[in-house]
Amino acid sequence: MKAELRESLANYLIALGDDELILAHRDSEWAGHAPILEEDIAFANLALDELGHASAWYRLAAELLDEDPDRHPDQLVFWRPAAEFRNVRMVELPNGDWAFSMLRQYLFDASEQVRLSGLAHSEHPGLAQAAVKIRTEELYHLRHTSAWVRRLGLGTQQSNRKMQAALDLLHPNALQLFAESVSELELAQAGLVPRFDGLLSAWVALVTGDLTGCNLRIPDGISSKPAGRHEHTPHLELLVTEMQEVARLEAGAAW
Amino acid sequence: MTDTQWPRFQVFHQEQPDRPHTNVGAVHAPDAELALQNARDVFVRRPDCVSLWVAPADQIFSLTAEEIARSGVPPTSTAEGELQPYLVFIKRSQVGSHEHAGAVSATSGPTAVAEAASRFGKAEALVWWVVPERMIHRSEADQVGSLFGPAKDKPYRDQAFYHTTTLMRRIRGRPREEA
Repeated sequence: MKAELRESLANYLIALGDDELILAHRDSEWAGHAPILEEDIAFANLALDELGHASAWYRLAAELLDEDPDRHPDQLVFWRPAAEFRNVRMVELPNGDWAFSMLRQYLFDASEQVRLSGLAHSEHPGLAQAAVKIRTEELYHLRHTSAWVRRLGLGTQQSNRKMQAALDLLHPNALQLFAESVSELELAQAGLVPRFDGLLSAWVALVTGDLTGCNLRIPDGISSKPAGRHEHTPHLELLVTEMQEVARLEAGAAW
Repeated sequence: MTDTQWPRFQVFHQEQPDRPHTNVGAVHAPDAELALQNARDVFVRRPDCVSLWVAPADQIFSLTAEEIARSGVPPTSTAEGELQPYLVFIKRSQVGSHEHAGAVSATSGPTAVAEAASRFGKAEALVWWVVPERMIHRSEADQVGSLFGPAKDKPYRDQAFYHTTTLMRRIRGRPREEA
């Protein structure tokens, strides 16, 4: 693989890892606060899974960058300034209510399903292998979150109203998951990652079917071009500061 | 006082394909599908598991050895309902859990226990549970990977993964073996 392509693929994977990491952090904030004990544990489990996926993507990126796959992920998570994170804005938004968090997790899980199906055919064997493994776990996520979306969407007037409010806010932001970049096009041409437009249409078909079946209305906004992954809300800086707080107390501490 | 909780479901897990399903506890859930998912999250975080069943607690008919000693085994002939398969779970020791013993055909909970007592023997049974088979919701074979795989290959979910425990022991000046 050409050096440029290696770097592009590493950046692509770091962006995927950042999505997983930041969402895992937001999910973990529900620990001890979820509306039901069982769901508290379930959401903590989802957070741990996403954290594991972030770690897998960061390790692959480290290998492509000739960095130590054991140490480089910590470097990326604890020593990178917030402005250098490449996660989509959807995952950094504060948790809001239960409907918002559940719908966000659902929209993200659906995007993972379509992306991982594509990545499973990557020309990079390590990446294809990781995608197959992660996809198995994501099947459970999607089953769990779509079960909740169905119950909240079709539940009471109040639960439906809260879900619709969450969808109106989240849907346009979710489109950023499929924002095209120049390097992504090159990676797709090399058969390393799936084409973004194919992913977008597969995702739209998947979530539109699910959500309209739950009495939820998809907001307009497919046509508007989403911002790039370097643009963040002020919420990310606060999240990253908290996440890095302990690590930064003492550089190089063993733990 | 009204119970504002969701209904309770008893959870049975199977550690190996050749081992019986064993009761591990209960979860609350609005329905059987979510009960199965909650059961996975609550009870399958670390140990091996190849299959999970959940059953609504209010559908389980329970009879203890004391009750049988006092009033005898219920008569087998009280044919009220329709004949249907019941799954039988037996608790055989005070510290043990209910273990799946097999299935019987019966028209009601009491007659299912009577049938089970004659089939599986009363000896050593402390508590009988019988539940109509159609009330049991099971994990499916194609869900095994997504339901139970993550617990196996994510060592960081286990507290033993974090060395702080051993460090604490060293701080306390205790050798590891004594712990």
